[in-house]
Amino acid sequence: MKNKVYIIIFFVLISFANSLFSQTKSAKQILNAVYSKMMVAKDYSVQANIKVDLPFVKMLPIDAKIYFKQKDKFKVESKSIAIVPRQGFDQITKMLNDTSGFDALISGEELIAGSQATIINVIPQSDTSDLILGKLWIDVKKNVVLKSQLTTKSNGTILTEYTYGSQLSYGLPDMMTFTVDVKKFKIPKGVTADINNTKTSVDDKKKDNKKGKIFIKLTNYQINKGIPDTVFKK
Amino acid sequence: MFWKSTYNEFIKIAAKPRSYIGIAAITLIVGIILFAMRLDGMMYISFITAPFEQSLSFEGNILNGNLMAFIILQMLIIHIPLLIAFVTGDLISGEGAMGTIRLLLTKPISRTSILLSKYLAGCAYTLVVLLWMGFMAIFIGKLLFGTGDLMVLKSDGLIILQESDISWRFLYGFVVAYLALVMIATLSLTLSCFSENSIGPIVSTMGIIILFTIIGTLDVPMFDHIRPYLFTTHMAAWRSFFEDPLPIEQITQSIVVLLVHIVSLLGIAIYKFNKKDILS
Repeated sequence: MKNKVYIIIFFVLISFANSLFSQTKSAKQILNAVYSKMMVAKDYSVQANIKVDLPFVKMLPIDAKIYFKQKDKFKVESKSIAIVPRQGFDQITKMLNDTSGFDALISGEELIAGSQATIINVIPQSDTSDLILGKLWIDVKKNVVLKSQLTTKSNGTILTEYTYGSQLSYGLPDMMTFTVDVKKFKIPKGVTADINNTKTSVDDKKKDNKKGKIFIKLTNYQINKGIPDTVFKK
Repeated sequence: MFWKSTYNEFIKIAAKPRSYIGIAAITLIVGIILFAMRLDGMMYISFITAPFEQSLSFEGNILNGNLMAFIILQMLIIHIPLLIAFVTGDLISGEGAMGTIRLLLTKPISRTSILLSKYLAGCAYTLVVLLWMGFMAIFIGKLLFGTGDLMVLKSDGLIILQESDISWRFLYGFVVAYLALVMIATLSLTLSCFSENSIGPIVSTMGIIILFTIIGTLDVPMFDHIRPYLFTTHMAAWRSFFEDPLPIEQITQSIVVLLVHIVSLLGIAIYKFNKKDILS
């Protein structure tokens, strides 16, 4: 009788470990498929319309040109002053580049804009990795990332939502919406000589750390036309 | 006769070496600011953008001539009044100290006209100083740093204005800044009517400006009620032209406050000058 109980427990543990292993494998397979789709576009340039909605910044939407070359060359070219997220364009490809460098785990499913998304958590194996935690919402049928939330040591947490259209076959979005945390902005009046700003400290308290959004509309993709490295030099 | 007298007064100002101290000081200060910004301007910018830098990146030519002009204006607009007072504070009392005021008043022209011609000459000098500063800030700034969008620096946020939307703001900003400087010229001229020596009105004007500026800059709630009535608060009204949307009401209020100060002080000056005993 005792032996039978041990045998049952043994098989339960084996099946649990097996299911856990197969889930991890499955998550990596999904990520590999997404990465393979991303790698089809070796380089691209695209016209971007950037609209900024940050708590302490006022500016009109501006036009810019974005250049990207696998795996991590990225440049924004603009005559105007443009504010763009530090991560978002190349962070996912950089992250997925080394599949042995992270563990991936499916943590559920969610409906995003009518598409069923599989949620995959990405945890780096190295303590020295800049990435702390990645969470990707992936459309498994189309092999594209619908939403990502990347927390890095250097750039904090950025939530990105992707909308696809004309370049779905390359896994390139038509619209990206970034949600970022913005620290409270306060510069001494002595630096800005802003002496007629008579807002009291009560007004300032309303403006503690807040979330801001950046909307980037991407049009006129030029994919795999070849971009020289000199373009990315500052 | 009035215009001839005004012309003569302007010539007198132009003939005094002290009138060039302001222009020389502006040239030197702007030169130093531009040189320093050329070397370490990005450090200054990163100090401003630091709260955003963790997650956001600023692209494009931020350190451009328009930003330079804005930085120079906001740095100098507090100090230029002192240079203006250096000349306009001497207009009446200087004549008294030199003993030439008695001779001046023998002219076949009323005391009011004499005072107003001195005042107009002082205003013309103020205009020359401001135009020189504008030339140094905008033209030399753009020559060295190029053009681009303007990042307006505020203590509680940033406003980024597109290049095509800047010129008219500078133009109107300069007009209001001129009004503020004329107010200072009026104050020092009025104080000059009360004094027999040059130093008194100049130092008094400087003292008032420094005191009011300190009260205006201190973030202490007890000064919140006083601040709107200080002319130094409204001297910075030129900055309002770089707001988006434009605070029309605030700008109008500042212009009205400055005009009321000018008219009142000029009235006091005329009254005092007409009643003044000329003893020297």
